[in-house]
Amino acid sequence: MNLRLVGRMLRKDLALGPRSPIFLWALVMPFALTLILQVAFGSLFDPEPRLGIVDRGDSQITAELTAMEGLSVMVLDDPEVLRSQVEANDLDAGLVLQAGFDEAVRAGDQPDLEFWIGGESLAANRIILSVTTIDLVRALEGDDPPVAVEVVSFGEEGLPIAIRLIPVIVFFALVMAGVFLPGSSLVEEKEHGTLSALLVTPVRANEVLVAKWLLGLLLAGVMAVVTLALNRAVAGNWLAVLVVVLVAAALASVFGLLVGVAAKDSAVMFAIVKGMGWFLFAPALFYIFPDWPQWIAMLFPLYWIVEPIWQVAVMGEALSSVGLELGVAVVITAGLGVLAARLARRMQAQLAGA
Amino acid sequence: MAAIEVEDLRYSYGDVEAVKGISFEVAPGEVLGFLGPNGAGKSTTIKMLTGQLRPKGGRATVLGFDVTADDPQMQARIGVCFEEKNLYLNMTGKENLEFFASLYGIKDPDALGVLRRVGLADRAKDRVGQYSKGMRQRMMISRAFINTPDVLFLDEPTDGLDPVTSAAIRTTIREEADRGAAVLLTTHDMFEADQLSDRVAFINDGEIAALDTAENLKLRYGTRSVKLRLRDGDGVREEVLPLDHASSARLADLAGSPDLLTIHTEEASLETVFIQLTGRGLAG
Repeated sequence: MNLRLVGRMLRKDLALGPRSPIFLWALVMPFALTLILQVAFGSLFDPEPRLGIVDRGDSQITAELTAMEGLSVMVLDDPEVLRSQVEANDLDAGLVLQAGFDEAVRAGDQPDLEFWIGGESLAANRIILSVTTIDLVRALEGDDPPVAVEVVSFGEEGLPIAIRLIPVIVFFALVMAGVFLPGSSLVEEKEHGTLSALLVTPVRANEVLVAKWLLGLLLAGVMAVVTLALNRAVAGNWLAVLVVVLVAAALASVFGLLVGVAAKDSAVMFAIVKGMGWFLFAPALFYIFPDWPQWIAMLFPLYWIVEPIWQVAVMGEALSSVGLELGVAVVITAGLGVLAARLARRMQAQLAGA
Repeated sequence: MAAIEVEDLRYSYGDVEAVKGISFEVAPGEVLGFLGPNGAGKSTTIKMLTGQLRPKGGRATVLGFDVTADDPQMQARIGVCFEEKNLYLNMTGKENLEFFASLYGIKDPDALGVLRRVGLADRAKDRVGQYSKGMRQRMMISRAFINTPDVLFLDEPTDGLDPVTSAAIRTTIREEADRGAAVLLTTHDMFEADQLSDRVAFINDGEIAALDTAENLKLRYGTRSVKLRLRDGDGVREEVLPLDHASSARLADLAGSPDLLTIHTEEASLETVFIQLTGRGLAG
């Protein structure tokens, strides 16, 4: 295996990529899908309420607001700067806490609390920020709340649909870049006869396959990470996320290789991908419909890469919790790789008209 | 040592025997023309010699490398021009050459210089997809030259091209042979084979029917004769005389006749010889 030749072919494919409509489509599709689903089900265009605080003392309220999830809090020094930012709608609201505010509240002195609301801010954000602030002041005072609130959920308790759709979007990123790109690149080489031209140079067929596999691995990996980031689905640590994404991209790309080796032209390749589509896609559906028997998802090969992404990237679990899934994915990848290499010998003979 | 040595080489597609035990050699600097109709086994032979097909029998070496050994060192020293124009259409001419040069490990290849040789230097920065058929064929030839190969395999290099482009390509092929490259040229164009080849192999139905210089083949299998056109009253009559001792008196007599209009030698063409040897023409 001459890695230098592999690198040259990979560089060629990456350079030619932007000139290929399939390449561009495969890269744009996950972004488009993210936008469509996020517009439909929310989160991407639901910015967090933005609060600015000028704290002249060292209020407990500032610390609690800053630590609170779902709020974007900025601590400033100058009330004039705060005011101008609220007026410019750079912040939804501004809070000025005088020195000794906490002590005054606890002593029952009813100190002044300046709370500025931006005229252009969303009503929902105003309500969230003002109610949250008042609750914190009341808690500081030490009084019991005037009413006991009981929250009753109607319907199924579970993750919001926007979260459950993440495996679908990531799956698309992986399949578009990992399956389509190496597959179509290989088929194109066959259709245009350039593969035959490569194979009468010092390049060997297995080096071509490795270059195509790396193309899929690289692009599927990047697309999956970008898609996760776009969907704010990186709850775990980045290194663990990169590991699960890399394994996922490797398996997706080896599927692409198989498709490329097996298909003699683009029409056959699209027919194979269409035929395999539901088989590949099935595991992602089990995240949308958690009532379905989850063990069925394990029967599909891409479950073993979607599940680690779900657990590590979305749910924030440790890498060790998906060791089995990653192991199975690596074994499947290796097995399919060997199969692709065997089929490549037949492909080479077919190319020469044998 | 011969650059290409082939002995009893065989290949079959299923039950159909395409190459039936052919043997030949090509020396460095020699152009061997493989002349035969479509389906005669020319391209199959090239595919075996370039490592694309594994022979089903016999043996062949290229530059001393056994063609069944799948040795990249052999491919590093050969150049192949396919019949099918298999170029990267989304790359420019220069990018195509630079990419293939990189596969041979050539640093700073003179892609422009190679393109200049085939008259494509001014289109070097255009994508090959925008090239005409003739330009793509010249591009194919230039790609085969990019590694300065010791052996060139050219499969129908001028097929379907206009006479000017064909002549330009023949010139560059001859230059490569003069440089010392062994050239195996397949063609069904007897004119091309006659012009370019140092020796010609007639291949028919997977077998070599004859192998010699074009001149020897024509002499051996053709008829040496002259055709004379003579005034005959108000019309014209033709007379064909063999170039032998028995006809010399008659020829001298007619040559001095005021009725003689034209006189032409009747050399056998390679096609005539091919038909004589195989019973079929080159076109089919």
